Amino acid sequence: MNHPGKESIMGPCKRFLYSCVLFPVATLALLAAAATAAPSAEIKIGYIYVGPKSDYGYNYAMDQGRLYVEKNVPGAKTISFENVPENAEVERVMERMIKGGCTIIFPTSYGYLDPALNVAKKYPKVTFMHGGGFKTAPNLGTFFAGIDDAMYLAGMTAGAMTKTNKLGFLAAHPIPQVLRNINAFTRGAQSVNPAATTTVVWTGTWSDPGKEAEAANSLVDAGADVLTGHVDSPITYTQTAEKRGVMVVGYHADAGKFAPKGWLVGAVWNWGPMMARIVKSVQDGTWKPEHIRGNLQAGDADLSAFGPSVPQKVKDMVLAKEKEFKSGTMQLWSGPIVKQDGAEIAPKGAQLAMANLEGMDFFVKGVVGTVK
Amino acid sequence: MSEFDAALGGFIISALRSSTPLLWVLLGEILTQRVAVVNLGVEGQMLAGALAGFAATLATGNPWLGLVAGVAAGMALSSLHALLCVGLKANAFASGLAVWMLGFGLSAFYGIPFVGQKINGFQALSPGALERIPILGTFVTQITPTVAMAILASPLLGWWLYRTRTGLSFRAVGESLSSAKALGLKTARVQALGILAGGAFSGMGGAALSVDYTRNWVEGMTQGRGLVAVGLVIVARWNPFLAIPAAMLFGGAEALTLRMQTSGVPISSHLLHTLPYLASLAVLVLSYTRANKEGGTPAGLGAVFSQSQ
Repeated sequence: MNHPGKESIMGPCKRFLYSCVLFPVATLALLAAAATAAPSAEIKIGYIYVGPKSDYGYNYAMDQGRLYVEKNVPGAKTISFENVPENAEVERVMERMIKGGCTIIFPTSYGYLDPALNVAKKYPKVTFMHGGGFKTAPNLGTFFAGIDDAMYLAGMTAGAMTKTNKLGFLAAHPIPQVLRNINAFTRGAQSVNPAATTTVVWTGTWSDPGKEAEAANSLVDAGADVLTGHVDSPITYTQTAEKRGVMVVGYHADAGKFAPKGWLVGAVWNWGPMMARIVKSVQDGTWKPEHIRGNLQAGDADLSAFGPSVPQKVKDMVLAKEKEFKSGTMQLWSGPIVKQDGAEIAPKGAQLAMANLEGMDFFVKGVVGTVK
Repeated sequence: MSEFDAALGGFIISALRSSTPLLWVLLGEILTQRVAVVNLGVEGQMLAGALAGFAATLATGNPWLGLVAGVAAGMALSSLHALLCVGLKANAFASGLAVWMLGFGLSAFYGIPFVGQKINGFQALSPGALERIPILGTFVTQITPTVAMAILASPLLGWWLYRTRTGLSFRAVGESLSSAKALGLKTARVQALGILAGGAFSGMGGAALSVDYTRNWVEGMTQGRGLVAVGLVIVARWNPFLAIPAAMLFGGAEALTLRMQTSGVPISSHLLHTLPYLASLAVLVLSYTRANKEGGTPAGLGAVFSQSQ
């Protein structure tokens, strides 16, 4: 400090010398630390949801996956953002996560695909795993699972429990994924109770609790004594069913607490193990940009716990069928599959064509309602 | 009970149930427009009422306190509209939009911890012996307090507006601010009261939706019902007595679209979902031409721009 002139001449030389020695030492030390700490190196993962993570629906199920990863993958730290709209906003959220140190991002909503592709291009070192998309990039893959087998099992439970032989299905929009669930549910119900039919009411929106309550009421008034649905959150129809004293089958997540009496069972997602495998594959460098698709057999879709009113006999029957699904002896979409109007779309012994499955646009026999 | 009775009774109660949140908001907006102020903020006030009602019911376990909280929240938000348009003479449409956005944003933000919570709402009133009466039986077993109160509120407000002195002061202010002023009425106070009353009713409508009808809180759960009510004011011709048929027109059409599906009528659901709007539009066109001929519109509403000078 007292000799600024001296310092200014000696400083650079000294610093150069120091760095000559220090740099290799520091590098070695870092490498050694990395080698020993590799299995539990901290990895930051960002999760983005289109709705609230406590909706007991799709977003809740995804968030349960996040909690599983945090618990079961050593070193995994997660952050999450909810209620993020499917527009440029989600790109900003992703960039914020990346600046905060996230190296894996799970954009879980369907509409996040294109924004995720944009951000993925900008940050090639970050891994993106999109929920349900159909495109990939060098650092973007997708994950999803088929839940229709679980829906079939839930339908069996409903078919066995109904007294009026009328089941009610409350649905948002006639898109293939929803139609698959309705058809799987109906086939399951009819497999144990050929007289059971499923009446479908379209609400025309993913989230309008008022309309959902009234749709549930109309189904009950029309004689349905088991309700189920496919809208964002099962809370409204589950509570309305309980209020009206009828039974309810859930979808997305276990919403049994909203219908302590009427809850039968639910077809639920189990994203945890799949997400954990994805994170581990990124950690050990084996991750590839691919479409990962799970199912009931792999444990990615599941049945929730049964409600108190389901007798052991019914539980045993449903669980036996679950074993058949898991062992592969039971195929949900194998013929004969008859459409609502009586036309056979897959004959006995044949599988439903992939195009018909992926782009399902029909109701099976036993469904009351219109697809359009 | 015959199947027909159950179906008809079921439809009536279903139409009323879907109409109830709308009816509350409609009554409120009628009062506000009666003092020559349009409030587009009712949508946001409804959301504030829905969230406050749900939160208070969750906290206290008492749905009645939930309704009180809903009313208070709706009123609190509408006081901003009163301040802007009456106090500061701001444009009512701009101010209403601001209140709407504020209600939407605040309720979405503060509503996050309440998603997925469970509340115990009202039980149906279900007065035992009445259940055996045909048609009415199905109806009364499902009626809940907010539905019953809304049905009573409509004629009460009508009576108040047309038969009391304070009601007269509302109508006088709505017809002509300058004449009302000349009569010695405190017009700013009456207008502020009209807006606050509208806020209270729309908050009640929101609370009826979350606490009673759905027992659920979801961001943006009013889904445009507040704005529909603003349109239905014209159908009801600013008359509280006509509020029930006007609200039932929309709510009934909504219930009908769902019921037609459960009874297996083979019509496209996309087409069916337009029915409530089509029906309201048709009646609006018809009643508007008649209203122009026979009056009914508070004259001051037409002078909304000149008033803000």
